[in-house]
Amino acid sequence: MACRCGPPNVDGSCRPISQFVLKVHSRCDLSCDHCYVYQHADQTWRGRPARMPPATVRAAALRIGEHARDHGLPVVHVVLHGGEPLLLGAAGLREVLAELRTTITEWTRLDLRMQTNGVLLDEELCRLLVEYDVRVGVSFDGDRAANDRHRVFAHGGSSHDHVRRALALLRRPEHRASYAGILCTIDVRNDPDRVYEALLAESPPRVDLLLPHATWDDPPRRPGPDPTPYADWLGRIHRRWVDDGRSMSIRMFEALRPGGGGTEAFGLAPADVLVVEADGSWEQVDSLKTAYHGAAGTGFDVFDHPVDEVAEHPGVAVRQDGVDGLCATCRSCPVVDRCGGGLYAHRWRTGSGFDNPSVYCPDLLRLIDTVDAYPPPAPPASGEWSATSPVDVVLDDLATGHGSASTLAVLAATQLSITRALLVAARDRSATPAAWELLVHLDRVAPEAVRAVLAHPFVRPWLVHRLDPSAPPGPAVDPLPALAVAAALRAGVPTVLPVPVRADTITLPTLGSLVLPGLGRSAEVTVRPGEVQVRGGSVARTVLLDPLASPSTGWFPTRDVPVPGGRLLLEDGDPYRDCYGQPVESRLEVPVARALGRTLAAAWQVVHRDVPAHAAALDGGLRAVVPLAPDPARPLRSATARHAFGAVAVAPHADPETMAVLLVHEWQHAKLGAVLDLYDLVEPGQDGRIRVPWRPDPRPPEGVLQGVYAHLAVTQVWQSRAAHDQGDASAHAAHFLGWTRDGVDALLASRSLTPAGERFVGQLRHTLEETRVGSR
Amino acid sequence: MDHAPARSSRPDLDNLTRSLHVPLDRIPVEHAEAVRRRVVTNGSVPSGTVPVAAFNSSI
Repeated sequence: MACRCGPPNVDGSCRPISQFVLKVHSRCDLSCDHCYVYQHADQTWRGRPARMPPATVRAAALRIGEHARDHGLPVVHVVLHGGEPLLLGAAGLREVLAELRTTITEWTRLDLRMQTNGVLLDEELCRLLVEYDVRVGVSFDGDRAANDRHRVFAHGGSSHDHVRRALALLRRPEHRASYAGILCTIDVRNDPDRVYEALLAESPPRVDLLLPHATWDDPPRRPGPDPTPYADWLGRIHRRWVDDGRSMSIRMFEALRPGGGGTEAFGLAPADVLVVEADGSWEQVDSLKTAYHGAAGTGFDVFDHPVDEVAEHPGVAVRQDGVDGLCATCRSCPVVDRCGGGLYAHRWRTGSGFDNPSVYCPDLLRLIDTVDAYPPPAPPASGEWSATSPVDVVLDDLATGHGSASTLAVLAATQLSITRALLVAARDRSATPAAWELLVHLDRVAPEAVRAVLAHPFVRPWLVHRLDPSAPPGPAVDPLPALAVAAALRAGVPTVLPVPVRADTITLPTLGSLVLPGLGRSAEVTVRPGEVQVRGGSVARTVLLDPLASPSTGWFPTRDVPVPGGRLLLEDGDPYRDCYGQPVESRLEVPVARALGRTLAAAWQVVHRDVPAHAAALDGGLRAVVPLAPDPARPLRSATARHAFGAVAVAPHADPETMAVLLVHEWQHAKLGAVLDLYDLVEPGQDGRIRVPWRPDPRPPEGVLQGVYAHLAVTQVWQSRAAHDQGDASAHAAHFLGWTRDGVDALLASRSLTPAGERFVGQLRHTLEETRVGSR
Repeated sequence: MDHAPARSSRPDLDNLTRSLHVPLDRIPVEHAEAVRRRVVTNGSVPSGTVPVAAFNSSI
């Protein structure tokens, strides 16, 4: 969606804000002595109302909603904070949640969060949080001794049992969806092993470890002569975490890894967060309150000032300048992209303001070394150490033109991993929690069945269609129930689920489609061994799934063809196969399907004959072929779709020799598309166009990259054929080799590639130099 | 805790295969959201990027 924020700022950019912290209650029922709200320099809480009035909630929601609308934001994140937000009580909290959902959801997707000490959490509040899809972070510092060092009531009593009871409530299956994780503020006087074990015992989806707030004016506690006690303390937890297989997400360690992406505390990415205080004041990030009284203030409020105006405040803007917003020491530091200068508040020093490194700088440097050093990199199989990174290994292998079986396995694994992540993202949009629960169950007891379904090439297009707010209008039914039913059928696990119906059809990926006129919009599907029973609308039907028997009426199984790589699906039923930008063929008549299957199997053998290395790559990943609708004007057509790894589309053609070239050509696009999911080979934002020999119009760099990679493979096919063929094969090979060389040279001259892209195309050039065809 | 979504970054191989080795219900939503932002086409895709449709018409 295009940004509608109007003319850009002075520096030519707009600054959309996507994260908002709402201080819905400014008082707290604990009296933690490390709290930056009450115990540090800023004391503005004293002049603010205890709870955010309804009119202020509404004004804040309207400001957030209008900002999302104006900038076309696909999602905004709102965190209810305090003080202690649960002091609102169930009724007060419901009013706030309803207002936010009603007002903001009109314009964008709302990701609602809450940060709480958990003391007041009970079943009623948990149900409310689940009802409004609020994900909750709980503040908890570890074992009893660690937690009660700071987190106590005003009378000095322990909060440990209260918080553990809250965490137990959130772990219940019916509340689990609202369990976001634990925030743990560390203290180097605590035992790191005990803290780690206490956190792990609560099964949090994620843990945030927080350095105690400190500044150069008020430095952190450093007991003893050790210059980096925080790095050493965290290093111990890091080692335990790695040794345990990283069984829970610890954001600090993940963020500090190369390319880890950063958090509010680390990394260089823009900090697009604003705070709304209980009185409606717009403020900068909360942690600034540790610096000096009024440090977070902006002078703006939700009643009179839109988000765009607040985003222009110098204190907000400087946080969006990346490395340019840091002090000279940080700008020249080799790990600045990892720590990003540390938390903004930790840089404060009277006199120089925030233009300093973090007061934790020595600890951060050492911690980054620790994260890098453990576990040590494994030596390569040859026993010789290599400085080549995994990405370089993958790219170098693919730059041979084909790619080994192990590289194909890596690409397939990353594609499946992406689909699993998208499935989790789609869970929030599913209206059938039972489908999610079934998938989770099957993932544990029958992982191969789930893997087979999720690896189907058209599951990701389905999920993407469901998740993409800019997708073209059209039916995008909830995919989870059909995926769960397909996995249950493959696993032989009986189940009953309501499944959405699209055009009288229920598609079960990898298996086939149920087409039963009169089904209505939803049907109850009962899975039994070897059969499914469907009830919906005016239909009640039992469908037998015996692959050796004739299909039951209304059941259209997905047909397949035996090929050297396994079984190749002829996918002519899945509605999400329509992702190629050109019409796909509807279900083929039996003779046509059989003929296409024979051609494909023969073409596969031709690829084995001509270019065995490319055949191995096909064997390693091509799982489905989609028939394109015939077009007499262009009988030879083929296509690949970025979201449908494992499939190519072709116009049915009777000649296996021709079909072999199409398969090799398209599979190159599929492999490179999978790589581009992982790594940018072209610098983002490249507007330049490059002239290529295979088209009259200049092309974008990524298109040229795709073109040369496909043409390299086609060159190799014709080069092989030329060795045995006295006809036109040599001329074809020379023709495609010329195109590829010219394209590669144009790409290298365009200065549009990333370092990884330069390396990849450079290796392609090397491959071409070793390719000899005819007189060229 | 830091409720902000993971910032945009170039994910490494280990990160992008992470959800293979974690049960579905233990895949962090933040990771899923980061992957969604990376691979789901939306208005933020820079010009010059080949769209998700047929590569043949894009090369």
